[in-house]
Amino acid sequence: MIPKAEKFLTILNRAEVEYVVIGGVAMVAHGSARATFDLDACYNRSKQNIEKLCRALEPLHPRLRGAPKNLPFRFDAKTVAAGLNFTLATDLGDFDLLGEVAGLGFYDAVYKSSVLKRVEKISCRVLSLDGLYKAKIAAGRDKDIEALKEIKGLKDLKEHLGKE
Amino acid sequence: MTPKQRKLAYELITNPPPGSDIAAAKEYGIDLTLLVENLDLTVAQRLRKLYSVATFLEKIRQGNGAGQ
Repeated sequence: MIPKAEKFLTILNRAEVEYVVIGGVAMVAHGSARATFDLDACYNRSKQNIEKLCRALEPLHPRLRGAPKNLPFRFDAKTVAAGLNFTLATDLGDFDLLGEVAGLGFYDAVYKSSVLKRVEKISCRVLSLDGLYKAKIAAGRDKDIEALKEIKGLKDLKEHLGKE
Repeated sequence: MTPKQRKLAYELITNPPPGSDIAAAKEYGIDLTLLVENLDLTVAQRLRKLYSVATFLEKIRQGNGAGQ
């Protein structure tokens, strides 16, 4: 289920979680015409941030997407600290949390490749088109070939138009 | 986008500069008109459009599953 990105981002911002929106929603934020069904974010793995993240998401009942219902899973700071990447289903929709992005690295590197985007009343960091390109190259998936062409075309178009 | 930018955008996608990434995307089959449409929207409008499209696709997907 596609989450209402704005609602999700508002929750993360209110809790002062350090994150960067990546993946399909980041592509759409830049102007891509591709559809995506989940929200992906790279999060800072500092102890403090993991605690804020878990507190912010707790009311949304995060659970492992696609896992058997009887599989024990508790989304808390201990679990997140022990893991890295999580594919979650929440009451607001599907949400993928990545501690590391292939082709870029951990949060600090992803943050450096991000830009600030305004979504009406809120602001959030979104992976840049260059960052998305690097991540998709590193992922090396056949399905991303079209996305790579789109990213480069979009970037070229924006540069010609003098648009961020 | 300003009217001037919009005009330029449609010129660029109609006749992309040879060897450019716009030309490569067009040649590959990317629908550049959709990109220009999206560039004309705010980020919030783009996200709402995504939500609307994805919700519709999800309904179709669920409908297909129910029909099998």
